[in-house]
Amino acid sequence: MEEKIIAIAGNPNTGKTTIFNALTGARQKVGNWPGVTVEKKEGYYIYKGIKFNVVDLPGTYTLTGETEDQKIAIDFLTQNKVDVLIIMADAINLERSLYLLLLLSEFHKNLIIDLNMIDLLEKEGIEYDIQHLEKLLKVKFVKTIGNKNVGIEELKEEIYKKCNEPLRETFKFNYGEEVEKIISEIESEINKLNLSYPTRFLAIKILEKDEYFVNFLKEKIDYEKISEKILHLEKTLNKPLDMLLIEKRYGVIHGIVRESIIEKKKEVKIEITEKIDKILTHNFIGPLIFLFIMFLIFNGVFLLGEPFKNFIDLLLEKLKTLISNSTFSPYLISLLNEGIISGVGSVVSFVPNIFLFFFFFSILEDTGYMARAAIVSDRIMHKLGLHGKSAIPLILGFGCNVPAIIGTRILESKKDKILTVLSIPFISCSARLPVYILFTGIFFSKNQGLIIFSLYLLGIIVSLFTIKLFSSFVFKQESIPLIIELPPFRSPYWKSVLLESWTRTRFFLQKAGTLIFLGSLILWLLSYLPNPENYGSEYNYIGKIGKIISPLFKYAGFNFWQAGVALIFGIYAKELVVSTFGTLFGVENLSESLKIYFNSVSSYSFMIMSLLYMPCLATLIVLRKEIGGKWAIISLFWTFFTGWLISTLFYQVFTFLIGG
Amino acid sequence: MEKLSEVKEGKYKILEISKPGKLKKLSNLGVFVGDIIEVIKSAPGPIIIKKENITVGIGYGIAMDVIVERIE
Repeated sequence: MEEKIIAIAGNPNTGKTTIFNALTGARQKVGNWPGVTVEKKEGYYIYKGIKFNVVDLPGTYTLTGETEDQKIAIDFLTQNKVDVLIIMADAINLERSLYLLLLLSEFHKNLIIDLNMIDLLEKEGIEYDIQHLEKLLKVKFVKTIGNKNVGIEELKEEIYKKCNEPLRETFKFNYGEEVEKIISEIESEINKLNLSYPTRFLAIKILEKDEYFVNFLKEKIDYEKISEKILHLEKTLNKPLDMLLIEKRYGVIHGIVRESIIEKKKEVKIEITEKIDKILTHNFIGPLIFLFIMFLIFNGVFLLGEPFKNFIDLLLEKLKTLISNSTFSPYLISLLNEGIISGVGSVVSFVPNIFLFFFFFSILEDTGYMARAAIVSDRIMHKLGLHGKSAIPLILGFGCNVPAIIGTRILESKKDKILTVLSIPFISCSARLPVYILFTGIFFSKNQGLIIFSLYLLGIIVSLFTIKLFSSFVFKQESIPLIIELPPFRSPYWKSVLLESWTRTRFFLQKAGTLIFLGSLILWLLSYLPNPENYGSEYNYIGKIGKIISPLFKYAGFNFWQAGVALIFGIYAKELVVSTFGTLFGVENLSESLKIYFNSVSSYSFMIMSLLYMPCLATLIVLRKEIGGKWAIISLFWTFFTGWLISTLFYQVFTFLIGG
Repeated sequence: MEKLSEVKEGKYKILEISKPGKLKKLSNLGVFVGDIIEVIKSAPGPIIIKKENITVGIGYGIAMDVIVERIE
C-alpha cells in the first residue's frame, strides 16, 4: 500500500491531540522521541487506499533550538520526508498560530492550516474571510471542530489532495531590505556546507542569535565577520535583531488578520473565565481548591480503582490455586506462582489505578485546570528550584509512586522532570502502610496514628530535601521562572480522554510488563535455589544475601538475616515486607517473634528503612524508562544511602537518649 | 511607572521589558511592549495578565523586569 507521512504542528492548547485522535482513532501508539523524555505520538489511518502515517509534533509557539520539544519538531521536519504538514490553528488566537505558520513555511512547502474550534468564533461574533486569508498566505485552510468530529472528513480529503498535487509557491516573508541583504549573505556562506537544514532558516537563526544553531555553525562559517555585521545592523536599526524579526512577523500577521475579519460584532467579554480564574488562582482559596481537587483525584484513583484491583487480585489468587492444584511439577508451580504471578501480577493489579490516573489527568489537561494548578503551587515549588507543575505528580506519589513518576510527563523541562522523579520514591505510597500498621500495632499501639503520620512527614521532608539538594548542587543553572499560558476553560471531549488514557496505559503495560517479568524471574531463582523445599529461607541464595547485607544494619538495630530478606522482597513491592515476615516467622506467632527481634526504637528505625530504602521494582522500572538508566542507578544509591543513614542515626540517637 | 511584580489588579500598558531573553519569551506568546494588558491576579505568587484572548501566568522572576504604567 502506498504510504504518506503527515505531521501535525501547532501551538499548545489548539486541540492538536483531539484532531490527531480524530484522524487516527485507536490506531496509535505513544512512546518517547529518541534520546529524550518528550512524549511522541504516532498513528495512521487509511483513506482512498493510501496509508497515512500521522506524527503529532510537540506543541510549540516558536521554532528555536533552545528547548527540547522545539528541536524535536525542527529535526523531525528536516530529517524526514514529510508529505503534508498540518498546522493547527486556534480560531480564537489566529495570529499566534499564523506566526508559527510563517516560521514553518521556511521549512516545508506542503502546508494545510487546520482552523480548529470554529464554533468558538461564532460565540465571539467573529468571522474570517477564509478565501482572503488563503490568497494572502498562499495556504489551504480547513475548518474543524475537533471535539465534535466536524470537518475531519474534509481534512482527510484535503490531505489526500495535497499529496497528489504539485508543490505550489508558498508565502515568502520579507523582512525588509537591510535584513534580507544580511540573510542572503549568511545564506551564501552556509550554502557551501551542504547541510540538511534549510539555509534560509539557519541564516535567520544566526540573526536571532539562537544559541543552539550559533554553536552548530560557529566553527563552520566565519562567524566573527557575520556577528560584526549583525552588530552594525542592530546599531543602525537601534534594536536587537531577534526582537525586530518577531515584531516584523507579528506586524505583518496582524495586518493580514485584520484585513480578513469580515464581521465583528460588539466585543462580547468573557468575564466568566476571568472570574473563575481569580478564584482558582487566589492566594488563599486557590491552594485550598487545588488540594481539594487533588484529594478528589487521589480518592478517585484509589477508591474507584479498588474494586477492579481487588477483582484482579482475586483472579490472580484463583489462578494461583488452580496452578497449585494442577499436575505441574513443583518447580513449575513455584515458578508460576511465586515468581511470575506475584511479580507480574503486582503490575497488572496497578492497571486500574494507572488508567484512572491518566483519565483524571486528561480531564484536568482538557479543561485547562492544569495550568491554574501550576500557578497555585508555583510559590512553594519555586523556592525549591522547581516549577509549580511538579507538585501534581508529587502529591500523587502518596497513592502509588508508579503513576506519579509517569505523571511527570506533564513537565516540559528535563531538569524539572529529573528532580521530581528523583524525589517521588520518598513519598510514602499506600503499599508502605501495611508495614507501618504491623509494627506500630505491636510497638506503638497507644499512639499508632501519630507515629504513622510522623513517617509520612519524614518522607515529605526527605523528598523536598532531595529536590533542594540536587537542584542546588547537580543542576546549578538558575530555575527558569514560570511562564505559562492559561487556556480558556473547555469541557473535556470524552472520547479523546478515554482514548488517551488507554493508549498511555497500554504503553505502560508493554514496557513495564516485560521488565517486571525479568526482575521477578531473577528474584524467584534466588529464593528457589539451591533448596527448592525451603523457598526464601536462610539456606537459599536469598537468605545468604540477607545474611551478607544484614551486618550493614548493625548500627540501625536490625542486623538479622530475616530483616535483610524482608527488605529484599520489599523491592518486589513494599507490602511484601510484611508477608515475608509472615512466611519466615509464621503468621500465628508473628507479633511474639517480632518482639524478640525488635524493640520500639529498632522497629521505628526499620520502618524508616522500609519507607526510604529503595523504590520498588515497578517504580524503579518506570523511573528508568522516564529518566534513563544513569538516573535509576543514582536513585538506587541515593535512596538506599538516605534510608540507611537516617535509620542508623535514629537508632543511635534514641538508644542513647533512652539509655539502652 | 511600576514593575509588573508590584502592581495591583487593573489595566496597564507595557512600557518596557528590560531583559531581552524574557522579552522574547513573552513575545513568542504574543505579548509585546506597548500592549494594553489587564492584571487579573497580582503578586505574591505568579502574576496573571490578559491581553485580548491571551491569558498568561508569569512567574515573579519575569514580572520583575516588566515595566508597566497604569491607564485606568
